[in-house]
Amino acid sequence: MSTIELDIRIVPPREKHPAIFRTFDALGEGEAFTLINDHDPFPLRRQFEATRPGQFQWTYVEVGPVVWRVLIAKSAA
Amino acid sequence: MKLSLSAAAAPGLELEALDAACRARGLDGIELVVAPAGDGPTLAARVRASRVRVVALRAERLDDSTAGSLAHLSGELGVPASAPLDEVTRGSLPKLVRVFADAGGTLLAGFGTDLEQVIAATAALERAGVPPSVGLAWDLRPSSEDLSSSGAVLLAARRHLRLVRLYGGGPEQHQQDGRGIGPLLVDLAISGYGGPIVLTPSAPAELPRWLAWLASRKSAGCGSAHPSGEHEVDVRDVEPKDRLGTILGAFRALPLGATLRITLDHDPSCMYYALEESEPAGTFSFRKIGDGPEVWGAEVTRRAPGAAAS
Repeated sequence: MSTIELDIRIVPPREKHPAIFRTFDALGEGEAFTLINDHDPFPLRRQFEATRPGQFQWTYVEVGPVVWRVLIAKSAA
Repeated sequence: MKLSLSAAAAPGLELEALDAACRARGLDGIELVVAPAGDGPTLAARVRASRVRVVALRAERLDDSTAGSLAHLSGELGVPASAPLDEVTRGSLPKLVRVFADAGGTLLAGFGTDLEQVIAATAALERAGVPPSVGLAWDLRPSSEDLSSSGAVLLAARRHLRLVRLYGGGPEQHQQDGRGIGPLLVDLAISGYGGPIVLTPSAPAELPRWLAWLASRKSAGCGSAHPSGEHEVDVRDVEPKDRLGTILGAFRALPLGATLRITLDHDPSCMYYALEESEPAGTFSFRKIGDGPEVWGAEVTRRAPGAAAS
């Protein structure tokens, strides 16, 4: 059970994606964080697939219509 | 993290209306602003009757005559009350500790992003034996504070930090420079902070925009996309959640072979991934233009399905 939550709604646009990747990169293997957003972050999932293939698991916890929560876990090697 | 809204954002709204606006925005609750001469018991009864989700209280002034009533309200509602650090340290800390402990309430001293101030505040708490009835709140002002020391401030305050109050965000977010909020939020997240983050206006002059923002989930009060020419779209004034829809709409309206020029205030790579996810393969080509740090651009050309992408 992850206790790390990142509410990206209050981060200015140009800092959103860098903040998400910094959080992910700071995780240990097998750890996870919950991303909270005001729209479906599906493009981000593509970006994870392109830049960190095979290194993450993506699980929707809440799917709108106002708030989206995604549990993003770092795969164990 | 529980994102919440201070009632300071909409001083004229009734509690119930404010709570409804928060729900529509996906916010988790409200910070009630308590007037120095406010009627605590009546307010507590109103909150309980309305089932409004109050996550914290705020008092801008605190003295011997008001501390007791604030402590009772905090205890009655089971939520912490914050006040500016100066207001807390002006009085006697042991006395405040006792008043809040007796009422079953919690007092949080609101500090700014100033390492010396935070170290002094944590030292005072530790001298007082780290009483559970007193802790710290971070009064964060990204538009007027230097956030470069925020990592050290968080490290110093972490043990006692129970509330973060962000002056800005909401409708102010897209025009704030905001440099440093991202890294700070990452540090907060990684530190395991799970408490409330309360949004509050940075200045009274911002209130009309907050009201408009609360009144509508759409982009009212937050600007809208303006086509700056044929096949051009500038989404810098569009709320982040509406940007993708705006760009996809403009792209799908393009004639075959035409190119859409997009202007943004962040790296457009995510728009490439969004197009890749939502459009059939081979129906667009994408080119990033410029590399910030303030403005980015992209060109998207609509291709016929099956045509070779250039």
